[in-house]
Amino acid sequence: MKTKITFYRNKLKITQEELADLVGVTRQTIISLEQGRYNPSLELANKITKVLKRKYIEEVFKI
Amino acid sequence: MKINKFNSREIARYTFAIFVILLGVFFEYLRLGDKFLEFESVGSWLIYIGIVMIAVITIQFFNNRKRVVDERAIFIANKSTRIVFLTIILFAFLIMILDGIHPITMPYHLFMSWLICGLLIVYFISYKIISRFY
Repeated sequence: MKTKITFYRNKLKITQEELADLVGVTRQTIISLEQGRYNPSLELANKITKVLKRKYIEEVFKI
Repeated sequence: MKINKFNSREIARYTFAIFVILLGVFFEYLRLGDKFLEFESVGSWLIYIGIVMIAVITIQFFNNRKRVVDERAIFIANKSTRIVFLTIILFAFLIMILDGIHPITMPYHLFMSWLICGLLIVYFISYKIISRFY
């Protein structure tokens, strides 16, 4: 799954560690998500979208 | 310095370890079983296991490393468990054939301890490999 996590994270100047703490996962999970290796659950995708200050999940995650 | 607090999980683990030690003392008192896994008796083995359990729980308690179990970790753990399950089936099939060719005379407790160690190794290796792909 393609994601725009890195783009929005850099825009907000948040590190992977900070994002991981904010959504309650490990940094390794954030790395996997950014590289498109792991498909998140709807709950996690929603949390990340909110932390990255986006309105819709589709803005961050693209199938 | 941050002082950790006991939670219900740690209390349960300590209780179980103490129960294992007490069971060992009881077995030792009754002199049940001898020569068990290179130990003098089943009781002495249980006491040893109980002390090791207490040591491990205490080390984990004082280790301040933050442990996060997220959905990816659970996902990988589930996949590893499936691999371990398949390994048990294949291993059981293999053992049946080997036992048919040449009867296995190994004591049951020794066989089970080797099997459990083997399964833990399979789980650990498969977890590490799968985590590279997800």
